[in-house]
Amino acid sequence: MDVRSIDLSSTTGTTGLHGASAITKLLAFACVLAAVVVQQNLFVVLACALLLIATVIGFRLPWRAIFALAAYPGLFALVFAFAAAPDPITGALFVTRAVAAALAAVILVFVTPYPQIFAPLQSVLPEVVGDALLMTYRSLFLLADKFERLRRAVRLRSGLSHGHPLRAAKATAGAMGSLVLYAFDLSQREYDLMRLRGYQGRMRTTLPPARSRTFDAALLAGAGAVLIIATVFRVSGAALTPYSWLLPAAAGTAVLLTIAWRLIRS
Amino acid sequence: MSHIHIPDGVLPVWLVALGWVAALALVWLASRRARRSDIRRKVPLLGVVAALVLVAMSTEVVPIAYHVNLTVVAGVLLGPWLGAIAAFIVVVMLALLGHGGVTVIGLNTLMIATEMALGWALFRGLVRLMGRRRAGPAAVAATILTLALTTTALVGLVALAGGGAAGARETGALDPASLSFANPFSGGIVSVNTLRGAETTAAPGLSVARFAAVVYTLGPIGWLIEALVTAAVLGYVARVRPGLVFDGASGAPARRPAGDEGAH
Repeated sequence: MDVRSIDLSSTTGTTGLHGASAITKLLAFACVLAAVVVQQNLFVVLACALLLIATVIGFRLPWRAIFALAAYPGLFALVFAFAAAPDPITGALFVTRAVAAALAAVILVFVTPYPQIFAPLQSVLPEVVGDALLMTYRSLFLLADKFERLRRAVRLRSGLSHGHPLRAAKATAGAMGSLVLYAFDLSQREYDLMRLRGYQGRMRTTLPPARSRTFDAALLAGAGAVLIIATVFRVSGAALTPYSWLLPAAAGTAVLLTIAWRLIRS
Repeated sequence: MSHIHIPDGVLPVWLVALGWVAALALVWLASRRARRSDIRRKVPLLGVVAALVLVAMSTEVVPIAYHVNLTVVAGVLLGPWLGAIAAFIVVVMLALLGHGGVTVIGLNTLMIATEMALGWALFRGLVRLMGRRRAGPAAVAATILTLALTTTALVGLVALAGGGAAGARETGALDPASLSFANPFSGGIVSVNTLRGAETTAAPGLSVARFAAVVYTLGPIGWLIEALVTAAVLGYVARVRPGLVFDGASGAPARRPAGDEGAH
């Protein structure tokens, strides 16, 4: 997972989704997640996933990175489905649910900087937890950079060859040992800096206002509609089930139309 | 096994809700305990150790798709209470990256917090038994025991969930026996099939035995890798800065910036 590319996209992106209020995006995410999780119909979950794919393409988000990240839990879901699912349809449902939920989460982080996601959490969590979330976000980049440099140094000195997994493991473990010491020193330096800047045990994060209230309302309405449709299909049980394939068909058409629109515009 | 690689919507709602309630209670209790000492010093330490675990989780040690977790290392450095907070932070960050599921954040937190606390307790006990010079073997034993116990807890979790509501699925126009599609409009577009409906199948539940067979087959390779890396890391740190390993980072004597003496 390349956290730096996510951060770059979320902070420098200029799409409508980037400009929407963080609260709206979190609510929309919650609606889509609820729609996916409560649903037992494979076709409805598939339709949600296709709509999310259309969103990625429509807003010109970095699709390669997003799809790669969303596919990762799909891989684990596939193993889980193989290990525990009683039949192929339930297995397919597990994998589709995992990919759709991950797509929703990954889209959220690609269009919303982490501090804006953490800000609403800070108000409900104990202060040490809220502040530590922000510190983790900050430290992650420093440690990831340091670890990359250490690995490069190790590779140059002893080699991280795929043909010598034991040597590679030993070298990586050595780099991690150095990283632990660096991390501890880093925490001391961070603390010193925070004290000098007047840290008294609470970090404040302010949320920027939405760029367009109309867009926020439309986003929320769209996500709400997805939840309502999923709930209707869930509650109606068998009555609507024979027609559930219409949803992925419609969502698939939306994906194709979005791709065509993008190709024409570019 | 560290975090649960179980996707959203697989475990029944009651289990997920119970996990959230227990995890939030644990985090609240842990933050109350952390407040007894200098909370401001704990924040950067917590952030850095949580980031360390995230960096480790994103790195393949050997090119066979296994990643290490460093949860036992984090437990040894932070202790059980701060470890619980770090576990929650790690799981939230992972869920936002699509790695682990948002609804299972509570259960994942409990799982990683258990791993950190168990690793911390076993490592300390074994070091007391074997002596500080054998920190490496103590780390190997503590890690393998911890991972074996948490993997068993994971199997127990799936057994608890087996046959729950989340395992059910609707087949719609898809015949589950032959996996072939039937035309839902065969009896008319609106009236006939809407009134008659289609088959709704309650799945026979999760296969706990097959799941246990898979995790107990693949798991030990991961346990061994994690144990060796943990031993190497803790052994290295024990040689360079023994206080961090044997007293814990949160208990280590803190450095004060000039002019900041007595400001706490």
